[in-house]
Amino acid sequence: MNASNATPNQADAQLPFANEDERKVPVAGHSALLLIACAIALIGNWVATGTHPIAALPGMVVLYVLCVLGLLLARYMPFYLPRIAWASLLAIVVTLPGVPGSSWITQQVGALDFLAMATPALAYGGLALTQTEFAIARRSGWKIIVVAICVMFGTFIGSVIIADLALRASGQ
Amino acid sequence: VEHKPPSSLGALWLHATVLGIVLLAEAIGIGRLQLGFGTVIFLPILYAFALGIAVNPHIFKNMARVIPSSAVKLSGVMITITIMPFIAKFGTTVGPQIEKIIAAGPALILQEIGNLGTIALAFPVAVFLLRMGRESIGATYSIDREPNLALIAERYGLNSPEGAGAMGVYATGTLIGTFIFALMPPLVHALGIFDFRALAMSCGVGSGSMLAACTGGLVAILPDEKDLILALAAASNILTYATGLYVSLFVALPLTEWLYRKARPHDPANHRHQKNQEART
Repeated sequence: MNASNATPNQADAQLPFANEDERKVPVAGHSALLLIACAIALIGNWVATGTHPIAALPGMVVLYVLCVLGLLLARYMPFYLPRIAWASLLAIVVTLPGVPGSSWITQQVGALDFLAMATPALAYGGLALTQTEFAIARRSGWKIIVVAICVMFGTFIGSVIIADLALRASGQ
Repeated sequence: VEHKPPSSLGALWLHATVLGIVLLAEAIGIGRLQLGFGTVIFLPILYAFALGIAVNPHIFKNMARVIPSSAVKLSGVMITITIMPFIAKFGTTVGPQIEKIIAAGPALILQEIGNLGTIALAFPVAVFLLRMGRESIGATYSIDREPNLALIAERYGLNSPEGAGAMGVYATGTLIGTFIFALMPPLVHALGIFDFRALAMSCGVGSGSMLAACTGGLVAILPDEKDLILALAAASNILTYATGLYVSLFVALPLTEWLYRKARPHDPANHRHQKNQEART
């Protein structure tokens, strides 16, 4: 399932999935970049929620540690899981009731607004676009835009209908 | 005269620009537009994305005077880095709600099948309404985010019709996906048919920005249910990360290929692809 097996194509180099293999990334370098990301998110959280960065700092340190562990596990575990999957699993485990320190962690990360954590990624996303994305969309024409909207609506509404039926069936 | 700073200075420029964008986006805050039948929600992530495009020197050449083109080189890597604290924060919402998550477990697992809704809705539109060719396969078999695109690249190559379809949906999703996913949940909720938990667990489609937009929109209209909405969305997103690629590979792609051959048995391109496969095996 690796893009490098694919037919070589100029477009590949410019698309995000071809950029890096998570098993080869320098963990130290990415941990440093992660510090910058967390600092920006902390300041964004201040503006979004009014929570002073000092008050929200312990929660951010927790997230930082979870992310670095995610990088390490994705890099060194004998089987591969994406680092975001590792970070998610660890985040779930450390907040489970009964796990030592879980209530403290839950309280600390509670100072961070989930949407404010996503804002920096979208800002980088806007800056990362090249002419390629626009060129592809233009070349594909209006039909593909209609289809893309149907695809996005389809995956959402498909899941909504099944989930709703399943909740009703189980009497919830 | 174009000024070309060394890469570390370029990186500094990039992070400072992003900080500025984030401050502006958060200062504007969440916006609501009341329509007759529902509410349209505008989120800071949308402004941040739009502002990022507005100052992107690759898109608007004049901006190269303000932000050097070399500065944006690092932004692709930074997306994958900055999404991590967001995903980790999302994960921490699951633990405290674990009992409710387990209670909703069957629904949570079954709704993963709903991701095949891309085929149910978009495939007939592409093939019968818009009369598209084998582009339809790549375009509709999944939501065409990075792992799905890699799968199409491996199977057909990105230069093929299937690859063109997948790339088109990928590019469109990148450009307007956040907007679409912020728009849909409040409007679908306004229909009054569906349980909000069903909406929440449908937000995990395997894309961080779509997840953020979808839950952001839902939380904006149902602030009292925030904790459960986040936990269900986070759980479904993790399930999609875990199962999405396998569903794509073993169910969605073979199903779409089969449907296309049934719908267009005389498309000569079917034969071409079959030959390629035989030659490879």
